[in-house]
Formats: sequence, C-alpha cells, structure tokens
Amino acid sequence: MIKMDDFRSLRILDKFQSLFQKAKVDYPMMREILQLKLTMDTRRVPTIFHESKSDSGNQFLKSLGIYALMGLILIAFLFGDQYIFQVSIMYAIVMFIIMTSTISDFSSVLLDVRDKMIIGTKPVDSRTINATKVVHITIYLCQLTMAFTAIPMIIGLFNQGIVFFLLSLIVLLFVNLLILIMTALVYIIILRFFDGEKLKDIINYIQILLSISMIIGYQLVARSFEFVDLNVNFSFEWWHVLMPPVWYGAIYEIVLNGVTDLSYIILAILGVILPLVAIFLYIKLIPSFERNLEKLLSNSGKHKQAKEWWSRFWSKVLVRNKEEQVFFDFATRMLKNERDYKLKVYPTIGMALVFPCIFLLTDYTSRSIDELRDGSMYFSMYFSLVVIPAGVQMLQFSTNPKAAWIYRAVPLKNENVCHRAVLKAFLVRLFIPVYLILSVLFLVIFTERIWSFLIILVLVAAIYSRICYQVFLKNVLPFSESYQIGQSKQSGQALALLALTVAFALFHYVMTLASFGSYILISVLVFINAFLWRK
Amino acid sequence: MSEDIILSLRNVAKSYGSTRVLESINLDIYQGQIIGYIGPNGAGKSTTVKMMLGLITEFEGDIEIFGKNIKTSGVAYKKRIGYVPENGDIYDSLTPMEYLSFVGGLYRMEDQMIIRKATELMRLFELEHVLHTRISSFSKGMRQKVLFIASVIHNPDLLFLDEPLSGLDANSMMIVKEILDQLANQGKTIFYSSHIMDVVEKISNRIVLLADGQIVADGTFEQLQQQNKEGSLEEIFNQLTGFHQHQEIASSFVSIVENGDKDG
Repeated sequence: MIKMDDFRSLRILDKFQSLFQKAKVDYPMMREILQLKLTMDTRRVPTIFHESKSDSGNQFLKSLGIYALMGLILIAFLFGDQYIFQVSIMYAIVMFIIMTSTISDFSSVLLDVRDKMIIGTKPVDSRTINATKVVHITIYLCQLTMAFTAIPMIIGLFNQGIVFFLLSLIVLLFVNLLILIMTALVYIIILRFFDGEKLKDIINYIQILLSISMIIGYQLVARSFEFVDLNVNFSFEWWHVLMPPVWYGAIYEIVLNGVTDLSYIILAILGVILPLVAIFLYIKLIPSFERNLEKLLSNSGKHKQAKEWWSRFWSKVLVRNKEEQVFFDFATRMLKNERDYKLKVYPTIGMALVFPCIFLLTDYTSRSIDELRDGSMYFSMYFSLVVIPAGVQMLQFSTNPKAAWIYRAVPLKNENVCHRAVLKAFLVRLFIPVYLILSVLFLVIFTERIWSFLIILVLVAAIYSRICYQVFLKNVLPFSESYQIGQSKQSGQALALLALTVAFALFHYVMTLASFGSYILISVLVFINAFLWRK
Repeated sequence: MSEDIILSLRNVAKSYGSTRVLESINLDIYQGQIIGYIGPNGAGKSTTVKMMLGLITEFEGDIEIFGKNIKTSGVAYKKRIGYVPENGDIYDSLTPMEYLSFVGGLYRMEDQMIIRKATELMRLFELEHVLHTRISSFSKGMRQKVLFIASVIHNPDLLFLDEPLSGLDANSMMIVKEILDQLANQGKTIFYSSHIMDVVEKISNRIVLLADGQIVADGTFEQLQQQNKEGSLEEIFNQLTGFHQHQEIASSFVSIVENGDKDG
C-alpha cells in the first residue's frame, strides 16, 4: 500500500475528532497533513544522533530512548522535601533540555517554508493549517516530555505520593506551554530584526549547545546524587521572579508543604498567569511571524564582510607561498561557514575545554591548592588534543561534496600544498584558540614552571595533527565527501588515535623525569616537525 | 476557443511597505488559453501568481477565479487549480508515491484513484522504477516530472506552471509541451511562466509581458511582432523592457576578462 505508517498518536487524536469539528477544523485534511509530517519526522536525524549515520528505522523513536536515559538525572531531585530547591533545579533541567531540543530539532518543522507553497496552494483553509501546526508541535512536545520524565514521575509517584504526581502532570503542562510560546517568541523576535541566515546561525549554535550539554550532562549524572543531602535555606530575592523554574518550585511548596508565605504565592501565580499571557501575546504576533517567515527564503539583510584579523595574522606566520595562501583562506572560510562541520566538531571543543578543568577539580577536592600546584595535573591538558582527530576527520566532508570538482578543474600542481594549507587552517581556527585559553588558565594555576610543558604540547599537537590527517585524508581531498557516508567506518581509527595521545602523554611524562629531558624532547620534536611539514 | 472568462484581475496592486511592486493590473483570461507570462526578474510575476493562488492575501483590487472573488469565496476554488512552484519546493524525504498520495488526498481524491493515476503517469514519464524511492536522491529533471504530475493528478481546470521545463531533456520537454497543448484543447487554461523565450514563443497562444509592475504587452506572438517590428520574442522582450546595453555590458565583461589575464 502507499499509505504511510499509521501513527498511534493519530489514532488517539481520532477520539477527539468531534472536538476539532466543533472548532470548524477540517479533520480529515488535518489528519492527512499530520500523517505526512509525522512520517517526515521519522526520517529526520535528530541532533543528539549526529554521530551515527544509519538511515534506517524510526530515527525519532530512537532519539526518545536517549532522552529517557537522560531523564534519569531527574531522579536525584525526587528525594527530600526541600521543594523550592529540588523542584526548581529539576524544572530548570527539564526546561533547558526540552527547549533546546525543540529549537534544534523542531525548528526545521516550524520554519518549513515549503508548507506555504505545497499546502497553501491546496484547498485547505488557514484555520485547519494553523490547527495542524499546533497539534503537530503538541504531539512532539508530549512525546519528548513523556520520554524524558516518565521514569522519574513513576518513581515520584511511589516516593512522594499521588498529590506530587498529579501536581507534576499539571505543572509539566504549563511548562510545555511556556516553552512552546517562548520558542515561538524567540523566532518572532529574531526574524523581526535579522534575516534567515542569521536565524540559521543561531539555531546552529543552539544545536551545538545542546550537544555539549549532553556530553557534560553524562558526567554530571554520576555526581548529581551528591547534591541530594544538601540543606539549603531558601530566601526570597527579587530576581527569583525572573526564573521560571522557581515559580514551579514555589507551587510545590505551597501545595505539598502548606507554605503560605506571600513571596511563594507571588511566584506561584506568575507560573500560572504568564503562560496564559504568553499565549495571548503569541496569537497577537502570529500574523507578523507568518509575514517574516518569508525572509527565510530571501537573503535581504546586508552582510558585512567578516573580520579576519586572527586568520590573517596566522597566515603571515605559517603560510609560505601564494598557492598555499589560497587554500588556507579557502579552508578558513569553509570552516567558519559550514554549519554541519560546526555542529559536529564544536561540541568536542567544549569537551576539550571542560575536561581538563574537571580533572583539576576532582583533584582539588581531595587535596589542597598548594599540593595541586606542585603536582603534575597539568598533564590533563593533553585532553585538549581530542579536538584534533575529531576535527581532522570531518575535514573530508562537506554539505556540498560535489563542489569538489573545482580541485580537478584547476591546474593544481601539488596536492600536498592543498592538504597542508587545509590542516594549518584547521589548527589556526580550532586548536590554537583552545590551546591558548587553557595555557593561560594553567599558567595562572601552575605558574611559569610549566612553560616547557606547553611548548612540548604544541609541538606534539603539530605532529599529532599531521598523523591524524594522514590517517583520515590519505586518499580523499578536503571537503569532497558527503556527511552521509563513510563516517562510521572510521571509528576504529579514531579510537586508535585517541590511544596515541595517551602514549604521547606517557612518553612526555617519562622524559620529564630525566634531567634535561624536556630540552632533549623539544629539540627532537622540532626536528620531526620540520621534517613532517616540509612538503 | 470558448469565450468564458476563467480568471480576471481588476486594478490589482501591491506594495511592500513603501515600495510598490504592482501597479494596477487588469487582465482577463479565457478558457483554453495558454498564457506565456514573462518579464524580467523582480517585475512582479511571482507576486501576481502567489496572489491568485491565495498565498498572498493582502492586496488592492479584486481577483475573480471561476467567476468568484477569491477574497471572499473561501478556499474551495483551489480544488480546480494545479501549481508547479518556482523553486521546485517538494517534501523530498518522501517517495513520489507518498508525495502524490498526500497531494491527491488534499484534493480529496479516492486512494485507489490516486494510486492508479500516479502509477500510470509515472510510468509514462519512465519513472515507475523509482515510485518508492525517496525524492531526495532525484535529479532536477526527475523532481520536475514528479512536481508536474502532482500538479495535474486531480484534473484541474487551471494550471499555474512556474519554470516547469528547465531541467528536462529535449524528449521530455517535447512530451510536456504536447501535453499542455492537448490539455488546452480540452478546455484547460494554462498560466505559463518562464525565462526561456523560445519555449514561451512556441507554446503560448497569448503572451503577457510584465515590467516594473505593469503589463507592457499583451497579445499573440504575431501581434507583438507586428507592434514591435522585431523578429524573436527575445528581441521583443529586450525592446519592451528597455534593455539595449547587452552589447556594451558584454564587451566590458570580455575586456575585463582579457586584460585581467594579461596583467595578472
């Protein structure tokens, strides 16, 4: 049969058919459009899946599994009765995750300009189209919220009782409403002042933020149970009014602990009233939103040429001839503009920056600051090298891989020049900033005694990146493959390369034990670098 | 050719903020006509088409389609309209069969009818082997064929085609031209918009030329030829849109290409 999958959500919706018909919505049409939209959703790859590339199965359902796993973090906040504290943190997490995922995965749905062309030209009235949009988003939010909170809610039912459970259901409804409207208002505001390209950039950065928070979130799950025993005295401050999660924490205090403090009542009222006000505002602004949506198609805004002092400075330092210069500039701009590249690599930058600090913190909790200073924990900076295999591997891909015909069409004498320039551009744009930030931080903590360590690290990074490049781009030109294929095949190499950094670090450590070891190592590394980067 | 008015525009005008994109358009289209709707980029062509399709609802003046004012008549008139959009917008994560059954469903066609028509039409375009392949892997020509089928699957009386042939090979193009001709003979009305002048010249029995938001020419190709004393539609187009500098621009272009080469 031609029919697309029949969805359970649609069958549930069928039960409310008469309700829609009373609201003068053309239900069969709405069902037809929803079925199409849900089918397309199952074929979209959600942001949290950007690592895997298999195109089969219901991508969306699989992503819900991951959200369910992440939801376990909420369990830590279900014990105790310090609701204003626990529940506020819980809703802060819920709101953050649901809002970022809505923006990163659902923006393409909200902002699909094809709808206007394809559905707008068919005999469907605008009332039905708008209702369909709202129902579609509602289905998405319901599924996401259920996946994320179902297990914690059941535990809450047993642990905190039925009142807690029912209250949570109602509050989650309000929270979702608030998220939905806030997301829409963000779009309305962005589209009002900027054009489509800027909006795509902002969505891209939110996707990156989501990926980073996923990675760091996993680290925090293990530690989150430590918060449980905390005894915090909550005192009302005016800025709590600005924090939606606190509103809902206050509601729990009132209902479950019988608190009748005025400040709590104010907060609770805000939590109920503001979503309703937001709906009203949203309905008022929808027409202007629809009009501004057309901006996504056109590129009306004036774009200033980007400032490039950073890459220009480094190109003077690192680039030798005209041909290399051309490829260096080209690669720098590609790395800056390719949204897919940023989405896949920037989260690793976040890791590279955060993990060395996490190691330091772990060490710091067990020892004093002076002991930390005298120790060798600065070797955790080797972790920043993870940027290199992750970023270099992605250099072979592009959103428009076919455009690589250009390499074949131009009289390029020596491909190595191109490869070398692209790798340099990568290091300048992605590795050196990470390295410099961490260096400053570590110099502050460990003082200038680690200068030789820092020099050795950058020399190692240069060698290491050359190796990574050889492994991943031996037979391909940069930006010449599609993201869809071949990526998963190389996970073995990626792992081996990560192991290599450990070997480097160990070797480095052993060398520092010998007298003059560092100086010998520096001279050897300089020599190897000169050899490797010679052609 | 029957004399029934299918479509009429009365003093239709449109402004975006302070910029006026359309100045009082008046136009009557009769049943069975193939209108070649041409004009330079930004002349207001797609704006008028979008108005007639109900994609732009705020405008001055009145548009009547099938004798009813579209501002007040609701969306039912769209049932008798087919459209190939200018950017080739299509939900490409679907297969052609899924897409066509969706579009057919929006036109309230029976499932069995959709399947039969879609299969047959795809077969005639030699696309039956990709009926269940996602459109995202299709070439431009294949997409255009699917879009074209989607625009006629519900047997519409009025067709809006925006650049529907540019990705087709010569043979397919011949088929589509012949289809349009036969559809017009059956009493369908076709609104055809393109930048490929010799196709417009051959295919249309009436040409409407829009420039700066106004209709600057309206008639058969022969009438336009007589009025403007020019040979091809391309030359008439250049003359009516006041464009004469193509030679100067071309020679500056070439000299920059060549001198740049010498110096660099």
